Amino acid sequence: MPKSEMPSGALVLLILRVLRSGPLHGYAIAQRIHALSSDALRVEEGSLYPALQKILLKGWVGASWGVSDTNRKVRFYKLTRDGLRQLEAELSDYERQTKAIQAVLRMA
Amino acid sequence: MMELFRRIYYILNRRRLDAELADEMEFHREMAARHEGKPLGDPLRLREDAREAWGWMWIDRLGQDLRFAFRAMRTSPWFTVSSVLVLAIGIGATVAAFSLFNMVVLRPLPVTDPHSLLRFQRQGPQQFWSDVPYPAVSYYRENTRTLSAVLALTTARLAIEGTEFAPPTYFVTGNFFTELGATASAGRLFTIADEAQAAAPMVVLGHGFWASHFDASPDVVGSSVRLNGKRATVVGVAARGFSGLGSDAPAFWALIAHHPYFVDGSKMLTDFSGQQNSGVSMWGRLTRNVTPRAAEDELASLAATLRVQHPADVWEGERFPSEPGGYSQSVGSVSRGTGPAPSSHDRLYQMFALVGSLVLLILAVACGNLGSLLLARGASRQREIALRVAIGAGTSRLVRQLFTESLVLALMGALSGLLVGWAVVKSMLVLTDAPSWFDPTPDGRVVAFATGMGFLSATLFGLMPALHIARQRHRMTFARRFLIGAQVASSCVLLIVAGLLVRTFDRVTSLDPGFEYEHAIVVDPSLEEHGYSAPRAREYLDDLESRLRGIAGVEALARTSTPPLGGARITAIVQIDGRSQEVFIHQVDQGYLGTMRIPLRRGQDLVAGNERGVVISESLARKRWPNQDALGQPFQIGQEPPLTVVGIAGSARSLALQDPDPVELYRLAREGDLVGMSLVARTLGPPEAVAAAVSAAAKSVDRTFTPRVHLLKDQFQQHVRDVEQGALAVSLLGVIALIMASLGIVGLVSYAVAQQTKDIGIRMAIGAESRHILRSLAAQFQRTVALGLLAGVGGAAALSQLLRRELYGLSTFDPLSYVGAVALFVCVTGLAALVPARRALRVDPLVALRCD
Repeated sequence: MPKSEMPSGALVLLILRVLRSGPLHGYAIAQRIHALSSDALRVEEGSLYPALQKILLKGWVGASWGVSDTNRKVRFYKLTRDGLRQLEAELSDYERQTKAIQAVLRMA
Repeated sequence: MMELFRRIYYILNRRRLDAELADEMEFHREMAARHEGKPLGDPLRLREDAREAWGWMWIDRLGQDLRFAFRAMRTSPWFTVSSVLVLAIGIGATVAAFSLFNMVVLRPLPVTDPHSLLRFQRQGPQQFWSDVPYPAVSYYRENTRTLSAVLALTTARLAIEGTEFAPPTYFVTGNFFTELGATASAGRLFTIADEAQAAAPMVVLGHGFWASHFDASPDVVGSSVRLNGKRATVVGVAARGFSGLGSDAPAFWALIAHHPYFVDGSKMLTDFSGQQNSGVSMWGRLTRNVTPRAAEDELASLAATLRVQHPADVWEGERFPSEPGGYSQSVGSVSRGTGPAPSSHDRLYQMFALVGSLVLLILAVACGNLGSLLLARGASRQREIALRVAIGAGTSRLVRQLFTESLVLALMGALSGLLVGWAVVKSMLVLTDAPSWFDPTPDGRVVAFATGMGFLSATLFGLMPALHIARQRHRMTFARRFLIGAQVASSCVLLIVAGLLVRTFDRVTSLDPGFEYEHAIVVDPSLEEHGYSAPRAREYLDDLESRLRGIAGVEALARTSTPPLGGARITAIVQIDGRSQEVFIHQVDQGYLGTMRIPLRRGQDLVAGNERGVVISESLARKRWPNQDALGQPFQIGQEPPLTVVGIAGSARSLALQDPDPVELYRLAREGDLVGMSLVARTLGPPEAVAAAVSAAAKSVDRTFTPRVHLLKDQFQQHVRDVEQGALAVSLLGVIALIMASLGIVGLVSYAVAQQTKDIGIRMAIGAESRHILRSLAAQFQRTVALGLLAGVGGAAALSQLLRRELYGLSTFDPLSYVGAVALFVCVTGLAALVPARRALRVDPLVALRCD
């Protein structure tokens, strides 16, 4: 299966989703998405950090400095209340759209 | 909202945040390296992408672009200086025009709360007066509730004892100074208490007069002066910066309440009809939260009440339309007429529209010029641009870079334009002796205008070349053609308009004005300013005439209320075929046509006693009755019973010298007109010889004042000078435009020659002659220039409509001006283009083939 990039809207949704279970640093976010998608989705630096900066600015996540497993100082991202609300809204949107698309695919 | 704050936080802390981002991304790379092998991509580029989310990258880029622009300008100082100079001329001209507009129209007078001041005129169903009888003003002043104050002003010339001199005196209401927030340079100003009848007569000096006649000495306060032979105490001096409600400054301020004291026989305080020189200009200050409409309505109802007591004097349905009163253009001259009151703005706006279009043309030429310069420069920067493209600059990035350079140039040009504009306006104010409170210092509006002009011109001259250079096109493109065409068209318009004005000047000086002005003297006693009633005026005029007749060398005498080339005009609007035609009404005596040497073509002259018979000019007869005999036809003016045309005279341009086809009507002056009459004396020999005798005789009739006496030819020459100045100013603009356009074309041709050196070399090597080379060079520009000229002719035709209507009475189509301007343009630019073209002929084929 090819390892593909994804549209940035979807990336934001995935980031918010993986952060729901707890704070993570950037690399861990990428790893988590990679692992959860059974290695199908790969998040590159070039798209991850712009997306993170964007949602930081929107106030959907907060950042604080912590120490990684490898004992290095690193920035951890944590979902804020606004972020949670945004995630729920995007999830329901996404579900509605998927259902609609699937309906079309079945019927056509 | 929060997002905006965060953004601002980011820009304020961007150094630290950038470092943090770098650190974080470094960590990512370390981890990736450990698990997946060496990561790809340039970390700096990746970080820039991430930072883009903050939304501040444009500031970084702008900083880069600006630094680069300044560096580029430093490396080619000549280019920089010359383009700033070109822009300074273009923008400076527009700034000067706008500053004037700003001073006259937009900026209120320097008085207290100018925005709540309204100027009122009288409007009846059939007629309008710009002045209101003073007793009526007093009545409104006492009874109004919508106006917190009513101000009035009227002017007169009062003779100062012991001099030949009768400077203007402004009579005002007692609240005039306090209401306008005036301060005194010395002594005090009037207050309402001074209006009491019992108060001793007093005057306030105008600042300019105080400085010129009393050496600005404060001792003058408390002394007494004699005006019209009446003693008055000087109580103070108005401050230098006090504008009053008009653009002129009087020598004396006096109270309207004292008008009868200074002027014998004045009916100022009692005449409700306004027929006996009691008309004043009227202003009101709106009470807070009252609309002008409410004030107009209230005045109309007050007028209706007043009409009960003065049914003959207050018009039926009299209204008081208002216009803003706190601006210098709101003080028009006193006018009365039929129909609705003309707005004082129309003529002014038309004039500014004309001046505005002329200066915008100069700006267009400047921008076209600079645009082609930039294009040529772009060609020489080809290598630099190619390099920048090679290392990854996109088109939009390059355009932004190049446009930033233009913008920097334009803003520098705007700044110098601001200086040029200020200098132009300042020198105009000095030359025209304008009042000191006219302040040419640019205010916020002017600065904003100059900046806007800078941006506009950057777009005009910078955008198109930037697009073309960035796309690396170096052919004779549409942009190049367009920029040259625009220059050609605009300078062509300026040249044609200049040509039209020169022709007007020519016509004014060479064409027969229809009357004889070399041997005439005008005596203007302004009797109405000296309180004369009609019977006394008749006596005065009879006396004056008999004294003048006694002077050897005076051949003939006539009376008129509108002396030739004077400022006074009486007009009536006549409907001809549904179009309004302005007719000059001359109120004269039976000797006028003969005295002015205006030929009677048909019918008979005016005859004393036949007040209903009138003589009209040929032009009026032709326009009003194109296919009929005008003699014997009835002629209607306003509500009067119809007059009868008894004679047809030659057309005389005595009131509108520039007008090629003025229409006039001569009628006998009636009793009421006598106080406004002047005398015209025709002399046998040169008028200078008898001028002194005429002056002395005029003075001897009534010793209390000195009538104004002037030679008609002096006035004629003054008039000629005015037209000459207009023609000169526009010619100057035209020449500047011509020079700029020529330089533009020189640049273009030399660029084309440089581009085609190889081509030319080959052609010469295989036997082409000079004329072939020149012809092929010319062929490249022919169409562009021709199209530009065509557009210019069209533009000039449109613009001359404006000129013709209001200012100089041009004929719209004057072939000589058009052909002359085009020919001049073609010759000058053609000769200019020869200079670089000759370089093409000196091309050595061998060298040309070897080069690059």
